[in-house]
Amino acid sequence: MRRRHRRLLGAVLLAGALVVSISPAAQAHGEKSQEAFLRMTSVGWVDVKFSQDHVKQGETFTIAGTAKILDAWPSGLAKGAPNTGFISVIAPGPVVMVKERTINGVSAPDRIDVHKGGIYEFSLTVAGRRAGTWHVHPSFSVKGAGTLLGPGMWITVEKNPAGYSNPITLDNGKTINLENYQLPFTWIWLLITFVIGVAWMIYWTVPKRTVTNLAVTSQIPLNTDGMEYGLITKRDHRNMNWFAIGTALLLVVGWLYQAAAFPTKMPQQVIQFAPPQPAIASAPQFAKASNATATYDRGSKTFTMNVDVTNSGKTAMTLKEFTTTNLNFVPGTPGPLDRQMQVAPTTTVDPGATTKLTLTTHDSVWQDEHLLTVGSSQLEVTGILVFDDADGASNLAEVQAIMQPQFK
Amino acid sequence: MATDAKTLELRELVNKQYRYIDRKWDAVFWITAIFVVGAAADITKQLFAGDWDFWTDWKDRQWWPIVTPFAIIIIGSALQYIQWLAWRFPTGMTYTAVGLFLCTFVGRWVQWGAFVYYPMNFVWPATMVAAAIFADWVLLKTKSFILTSVIGAILFSVTWWISNYIPLAPYLQPAHWMDRIVTVADVQGIEYIHSQTPEYLRIVEHGSLRTFLGETQYVSLVFGATVAIAGYWIGQFIGRGLAIWPIGRFIKRW
Repeated sequence: MRRRHRRLLGAVLLAGALVVSISPAAQAHGEKSQEAFLRMTSVGWVDVKFSQDHVKQGETFTIAGTAKILDAWPSGLAKGAPNTGFISVIAPGPVVMVKERTINGVSAPDRIDVHKGGIYEFSLTVAGRRAGTWHVHPSFSVKGAGTLLGPGMWITVEKNPAGYSNPITLDNGKTINLENYQLPFTWIWLLITFVIGVAWMIYWTVPKRTVTNLAVTSQIPLNTDGMEYGLITKRDHRNMNWFAIGTALLLVVGWLYQAAAFPTKMPQQVIQFAPPQPAIASAPQFAKASNATATYDRGSKTFTMNVDVTNSGKTAMTLKEFTTTNLNFVPGTPGPLDRQMQVAPTTTVDPGATTKLTLTTHDSVWQDEHLLTVGSSQLEVTGILVFDDADGASNLAEVQAIMQPQFK
Repeated sequence: MATDAKTLELRELVNKQYRYIDRKWDAVFWITAIFVVGAAADITKQLFAGDWDFWTDWKDRQWWPIVTPFAIIIIGSALQYIQWLAWRFPTGMTYTAVGLFLCTFVGRWVQWGAFVYYPMNFVWPATMVAAAIFADWVLLKTKSFILTSVIGAILFSVTWWISNYIPLAPYLQPAHWMDRIVTVADVQGIEYIHSQTPEYLRIVEHGSLRTFLGETQYVSLVFGATVAIAGYWIGQFIGRGLAIWPIGRFIKRW
């Protein structure tokens, strides 16, 4: 019997070890499980750039770009009127840290006011914390909707041979290491209270019998301490008074200590404001996209979009990129976060002209990212076409294409 | 004479030596049950007050003193009834507090520290022990669950706040950060990213024109104590209705 138990235990341990050793680490962030059309119609990401992909612990890199809450924002999310947002970083836990966040040029520690059609130029200064290679995305959370991810990148955080700390400066000028600040005090305090609790329990359970007391307590009223039968004695009362007095004294001493050691305290802050408008939001709108349709051929993994583009400006405009969810497609040579697309007949639209452009990508990413599921309740592809004019001004033209999937 | 005889009989019963029920059974009960009790208390706390217990930037002076005492007094109250009824021990609340601390301590250390790398000074759990000592002491002194629910629950809430404000104090110090003055706890909350928990989900004091002379903390303490009384009676219902009564029915039947 014992041998059988041992074998069983061995088999369970082996199975556990196998499961742990062959299971791949979870690296995604759940974005693919969000409905494609909701991801595409909510937040658009433009020109997102990571300053570097290798940092040491404590060193910083920046993630900068522009996020737009699309005019096509779905009526089913945040009641169709997004009003509070939070731009941050998504990573597998606090492997990196947000050290600074500016939105439209101003520091924005917490949430911001947002609105449909709002454009937010962000810059996140992020520090490496835990050594390893981590997939990191900028994220835009909208109250009442959820979190939308921007383009992601693998960031390698190397161990810092000089050691790692996370200094911040208190109002009194003192610099502290946030990684372990006051940790001993916190644990000691919690452990002292725990020890008092254990002592109280030992007092009642070790010298006194427990289970057999039921024979007596079942025969006496609830509102008595059973002193006449010896269940609880005067000595117990006296000792418990001392316990209570001791605990009260501990609280008094603790209170006096915190008042002396940390004299200046304030409540947690809630910071919310409307960031200023960026230049791009108030620039003259010269690009417009309309009458868009899209198809996707599963066999050749070819996505095609036909769209009428109108240039109402005074100079020629050039298509720089097409972006949807966390994907960027560019004509020409793609950057590290971009993918290639072909544009016909040309990427340039003359002033005053309306041209039908055909955008084509040969890329399995549409399927890999679950963006073209025919099971969706709205078969549309939504994104942003980014145009630059000859003077260098940029325009973001939203495009919403009717998707014509091939069911075979 | 009849009363004296009964008293003598019960006194003998208190000291009676049983052949088959020895102290091992006591040890088995206390040691095995503490994990069940601790887990029950932890789950209840997480259901009602999870985030307030997880992060320092949630441990505010308005909501934390209301939701957490209510959440943690429930299981403690049930155990207080059971242990007083069965063994006449004023230990139910403290037993729950000790079990809860063990569960949360291990949980924070392993799940939050070792697995996902949060610094422990950001995710330390609140302690319930000092508050529990006073609640058990009130039961011992009053021998009444009604009085314990009123006096004990109020004392529980107030001492819980004091015993947890002390370790929180260092994290309420002002710091210079992102062009502003915020608390150390705020810095922890923003720097150590928690994916899928955007900052706007944080339920902390936002300010209100109805706040009594700006003294949010005292209003919250009074309201929290009142809510804790309700929590205490929910625990009593669990102890009486879901534990003792069904067991009694089962024993009578068989």
